[in-house]
Amino acid sequence: MNITIREEGNCIIVKFEGRLDTVAAEKAKKELDPLYNNTGHDVTIDCEQLEYISSSGLRILLSIRKAAAISGNKVTILNISSDIEKVFAMTGFDTLFDIQKK
Amino acid sequence: MQKKLTLVNQIDEICKLQEFVEEICEQAGFDMSVTMSLNLALEEAVTNVIDYAYPEGTEGNVDIVGEISGKQLKFIISDTGQPFDPTAQATADITLGVEERPIGGLGIFLVRQIMDNVIYQRQNGVNKLTLIKNI
Repeated sequence: MNITIREEGNCIIVKFEGRLDTVAAEKAKKELDPLYNNTGHDVTIDCEQLEYISSSGLRILLSIRKAAAISGNKVTILNISSDIEKVFAMTGFDTLFDIQKK
Repeated sequence: MQKKLTLVNQIDEICKLQEFVEEICEQAGFDMSVTMSLNLALEEAVTNVIDYAYPEGTEGNVDIVGEISGKQLKFIISDTGQPFDPTAQATADITLGVEERPIGGLGIFLVRQIMDNVIYQRQNGVNKLTLIKNI
């Protein structure tokens, strides 16, 4: 799993590459730590190269979403694959995020 | 057809699951999409055992048997840890909004969404969780 985080104006763009499984999520949780206290940035999560997500990955996304809700910011999920979209639908995550499909 | 995998209760052991599940799914003739969902169900169920079955600091095993019989693919996950029935857990409320949504509780929920049947048994000091997918 590779994670890149960059800032573009008022937006933080997170890019996931690979499998966000239970083991990868442990590491990802630390790398994404700055996003759990949103200081007024919109967040875009690019899932073009995200192959898989487990509940531990979903927990990270929800933490980011909750922090953004407190600061009144948006979280957009980009380029989600149909398989991962199914996981979002099963868990109701499709209603929590602004999702743009692949 | 039957295959068996034994893991110890360390979280990085989860990496061994994927290949095991994919081989069985291929035998069962499942496509990539169903295979991925079964990978997810197995990862969630086994992670739960690794995280909670044994007291912290004690070593224990998780056995996973995959078998195809007739029109069913079955995964039987067993451990000798403390009794725990995941099927008795309250189901997640997925209609809650961002603020009310609890962070956890989705793992077993996903297992139950993905599988056609999930059965828990406690026999002779063993937790046995059977996950069934119709072929």
